Amino acid sequence: MRKLLQLIFGDLRNAASVAVALLAAYGVSRLAPGAAGVVLALLLIAAAALQAV
Amino acid sequence: MLWHRCASYAAPQPMTAAQWGGAGAIFLASAVEWVEAFTIVLAVALTIGWRRATGAAVAGLAVVAILIVITGAGLAAAQADIGRIRAAIGIFLLLFGLRWYVKAIRRYSGRTALHDEAREFADTREHLERAEGRAAWVVAFKGVLLEGLEVWLLVVALGHTLSYAAAAGSAAASLALVVVAGLALRAPLTRVPENTLKYLVACAILSFGSFWAIGGLAGEQAVWPLGDVTLVLLFAAYAVAGRIIAWRSRTAGAAAAGAQA
Repeated sequence: MRKLLQLIFGDLRNAASVAVALLAAYGVSRLAPGAAGVVLALLLIAAAALQAV
Repeated sequence: MLWHRCASYAAPQPMTAAQWGGAGAIFLASAVEWVEAFTIVLAVALTIGWRRATGAAVAGLAVVAILIVITGAGLAAAQADIGRIRAAIGIFLLLFGLRWYVKAIRRYSGRTALHDEAREFADTREHLERAEGRAAWVVAFKGVLLEGLEVWLLVVALGHTLSYAAAAGSAAASLALVVVAGLALRAPLTRVPENTLKYLVACAILSFGSFWAIGGLAGEQAVWPLGDVTLVLLFAAYAVAGRIIAWRSRTAGAAAAGAQA
C-alpha cells in the first residue's frame, strides 16, 4: 500500500507542488480563465526546476 | 464534449490525434516498465529456469490485468460528472507526471545516475545466488507486479478519457515488443534509451494532466480556448523547459564543482 501511494503521489514535495500550482491556477481562472492554464504550466515547470536542483 | 462522446459510444470511431498521443504515451511508458521487469525476470530465469520464472511473470501480469479490468469497469460504471472525473484523473496525472519529469531532468543533468539495466541485472543475479527457488520466484513476481502497477495506473487514468481498448492495447503491444526483443537477445535491454523515453512520457502525462485538471475544475472551453491543439503546445513547452532546466542545473553543478576544486 505504501509503495502504491508513493507511486501515485511521490514525496510530500511533489504533492505540495501540484497542490500549490493547481490552487493558484484555479484562483486565476476565477479572474482570467484564459490565463489559468498558462499559470498552471509555468508553476509546474518552476516546481520541477526547484526539485531538480 | 469530444472526449465524452468517444468514451460513451460503443461503436468504434476513428481515434483523434489526442487519443493517438495518449496511446503513444502509454506505449512508451509501458515499454520502460516492461524493460525493467524483463531484466529482473531474465536474472531469475537464469537462476531457477525459464519455466518457473515465466510462471512468476505471468502471475504478476495476471494481477495487473485483473486490476485494470476491475478499476476500469468501476470507473466506467461511476455516474459522477465527467468534468469531476476528468479533473480527478488530471490531478493524478500531474502527481505522477511531475515525479517522472523531475527524475528525468535530474538524470539528464547528471544529478541522479542513469538507470543501468546491466547493473540491475548483475545486482539481481548476485542477490539470487543466496536465495532459494521460492524466494527467486517471488523476486520475479514482485518485479513484474511493481513495474506493472505503474502501467495499471496509466492505463486506467488515460483509458477512461481516451479508450480502454486503445490504452490496454498499447500496454499489451509494448509488452509483446519487449518480450520478443528480450527473448531474441537473451540479455538485458541496455540499449533502450530509458531516460529519453521516460522524459517524453512525463511531458505527455503532464500535458494531459494540465489539460484535464484545470479544465475539469474551471471549465475546459474557458481555460483552453484552442481545444485539443493545446495538448501539443503544452507538450512542447514542458519538453523545452525541462531540457533548459537540465542544462542550467548541469552548468550550475559544474561551476560549483569548479569553485570547490
